[in-house]
Amino acid sequence: MPASAQAEQAHAGKARIGYYIYGIVPSDVEVTQDARGIGDPPSDVEVIPHREIAALVSPIAIARPIGQPADLTAHEHLLDGAAAKVPVLPMRFGAVVTSQDAVVEELLAPNYDQFAEALKSLEGRAEYVVRARYIEQAVLGEVLSENPQVAHLREQIRGTSEDATRNARIQLGELVGQAVEAKRAADTQSLVAALTPSSVANAVRPPSSEYDAGHVAFLVETARDAAFEDAVQRIADEWSERATVRLLGPLAPYDFVQTAQPGA
Amino acid sequence: MTSAIQPAGGGALDRPTSSSLADVIDTILDKGLVIDAFVRVSLVGIELLTIDARIVVASIDTYLRYAEAVNRLDLSQTGQKGLPDLLGDVQRGGAKRKVKGAAEGALEAAGQKLRELTDVLDQRQPERGKQREE
Repeated sequence: MPASAQAEQAHAGKARIGYYIYGIVPSDVEVTQDARGIGDPPSDVEVIPHREIAALVSPIAIARPIGQPADLTAHEHLLDGAAAKVPVLPMRFGAVVTSQDAVVEELLAPNYDQFAEALKSLEGRAEYVVRARYIEQAVLGEVLSENPQVAHLREQIRGTSEDATRNARIQLGELVGQAVEAKRAADTQSLVAALTPSSVANAVRPPSSEYDAGHVAFLVETARDAAFEDAVQRIADEWSERATVRLLGPLAPYDFVQTAQPGA
Repeated sequence: MTSAIQPAGGGALDRPTSSSLADVIDTILDKGLVIDAFVRVSLVGIELLTIDARIVVASIDTYLRYAEAVNRLDLSQTGQKGLPDLLGDVQRGGAKRKVKGAAEGALEAAGQKLRELTDVLDQRQPERGKQREE
């Protein structure tokens, strides 16, 4: 659509409706009564089919910005709920298309083959996310006992103000940072090694906190999810003195879909 | 909303029944299919409220925080032996303080109240500490 027409639509006022896209599903799905879309009050959730696939959508008013915390959780919960029953290709948050026709003609039809094939390969599989977070005292204690230079600098800054020993603190902090990063790399590798036998694929996520010990998404066959969960439990027990381990899932396979490509 | 650092009853593994807001943010803002800008899809220009600075950036602030955390480390708790006993400070190393780049602090504990997260959404782009040359 030409830029001027788009701008026109954006300015046209509160009556305009757009179609918010959650993800791609097989066409033989039904939306249950309790499905809640984004927005307040929650928007309706609909299915727009095209041949063997469909888009999971909500009609929403264009005038209202989206991205409130409730919108984010609604997006994910809807997709995770769907993924428990059918294969789903989840969209990243924030995709809105102008009309029902556009959903079919510009999203589903041009990408039909890729979407259909991806859905097929996800049949009977779900995503789990394992996140380990260091217990601050424990990991810093390890770093301290493994690094004499860190211990030495700690002596230097003891009982001093940040201004008085700024350089020593920066040096100390950098050493600690490097040590924690090295541990994160090693522990992430351990996590992957321990869970590879009971999973189909994995995708390491970047750390989102200074004390992340490992953050990895796994694609798991639902038939083997008990074995996978047992293996995660074993790691959690093994690491319990130095890190907390959290398991999320089954989720829609956010980490295992590719970016949409234009139809060939 | 569940707290990240709560062991499930009867085992060390935390197994919440649904994703917390922090988990959701890590997932749906970074992962999933994207409608490429070059695809012929009529995207509507909806204003998106998103959170910046979700990645870990090694900066002077980070190093100072690590240093202070090490400074306050209560060695008797970690069972370290052979280091001088320098306890003078009863504040636990686990205390987390709000610092610049509050988005990162907000994400460190799932179970953060929505009100605080809304404050983050309302904030202008958080200041970053100076980046160190690698």
